[in-house]
Amino acid sequence: MKRVQFTINGDLYEREIHEHRTLLHVLREEIGLTGTKEGCGAGECGACTIIMNGVPINACLVLAVEADGTEIETVEGESKSGRLSPVQEAFDRHHAVQCGFCTPGMLMTIKDLLQRYPKPSREQIIEGIEGNFCRCTGYEQIIEAVLDATGQLEEKGEIKHA
Amino acid sequence: MTHEFSYHAPGSLDEALALLSEYGEKAAVLSGGTDLLVNIRAGLSRPEYVIDIKKIPELKALSYDPEDGLHIGACVTVNELLEYEPIAESFAVLYAAGAELATHQLRHRATPVGNIVTASPCGDMSSPLLCLEAEVVIVSQNSTRRVALREFITGVKTTVLAPTEIVKEIFVPPTYAGAQAGYQKLKRIKGHDLGVVAVALVKHNGSFRIGINSAAPTPLLLPDFAAGTPVEEVQKAAAKAISPIDDVRCTKEYRAFMVGVYIERLMKEVGA
Repeated sequence: MKRVQFTINGDLYEREIHEHRTLLHVLREEIGLTGTKEGCGAGECGACTIIMNGVPINACLVLAVEADGTEIETVEGESKSGRLSPVQEAFDRHHAVQCGFCTPGMLMTIKDLLQRYPKPSREQIIEGIEGNFCRCTGYEQIIEAVLDATGQLEEKGEIKHA
Repeated sequence: MTHEFSYHAPGSLDEALALLSEYGEKAAVLSGGTDLLVNIRAGLSRPEYVIDIKKIPELKALSYDPEDGLHIGACVTVNELLEYEPIAESFAVLYAAGAELATHQLRHRATPVGNIVTASPCGDMSSPLLCLEAEVVIVSQNSTRRVALREFITGVKTTVLAPTEIVKEIFVPPTYAGAQAGYQKLKRIKGHDLGVVAVALVKHNGSFRIGINSAAPTPLLLPDFAAGTPVEEVQKAAAKAISPIDDVRCTKEYRAFMVGVYIERLMKEVGA
């Protein structure tokens, strides 16, 4: 067991953890933040995407002990104020959520994307979410939601799925 | 569920090497973890000790000097490599291949050194680094040795690395800095899958060289071709050198065919 501490969505957490536990499992099962999902467990699907020290990573391939001293952002931080973030609202408007399993990871990947490209082109969005699977194949709605959230869908007629 | 192991994060290379010397085959070195943790979680690797080398400052070194060459430390991530200006400016083949490696999230953890230590036939860093005549700097408690990358990888996921050794860095001589180059990779989908086949081409001083991934037990480097060599001749030489297999991703015939297609495209693109 090792004692670690990290900041999650602005709050400091200190825990005694098993060294072989992944950050994903500690987040979900020991901290109780179940927004972050486990899909493939092998770094392919992106459902476990969180932001650690400012960059998006797959939490399934990080040991919790490796995260000692880091700053972590998870999907729960997106609506911490009690209100949905602009991207979450756009997901809602565009039906960019079907089963919802990929959504927390998508939202964190998009959060990082918008920090790098505040007004991403369609191609940059497609490239940006390359590491996130949506098995409902709702990519089109997700792309539209990001375009809308960044003020790039002026014409109402363009919102095909609302 | 992963098995239990104990985790060590030494702050110096000496400390890490002492741990490895003590634990030998019972230990695994952890850097980005994008291969090691997949293997541990799948039960394919069962180390009793995991030695995280990311807290060792010198392994983060990344430098380029036109006289001295390029040094890529063991803990430099693929994204850090891509963001380092001399890569896009002087090592086009590394830049192109790095951008093709897995996904944005993975590239924030995965390292070029880890990619060659894993020694997969499809490792995106391997054939470009073979073209650039990279060397692998290996340290243990009592010695430092440099091994040419073409001798470092010995088979499918096997290398000359001993259990008590750590790869400290990849060294790329300045010989091919600024060379025109290209990298083409076939995959079923972008990001989420292993490469089906990939070809790297580097042009230099009236000749060009070709590296090939996923078409033999190890990544390959073909002997140099003189500029102006007909496409068919290059394709023939490649067909002789490769020994592709059938697998879940495609047939050996398709792999061999696509090696030829990419050679033609790259020779056109780079003007070889």
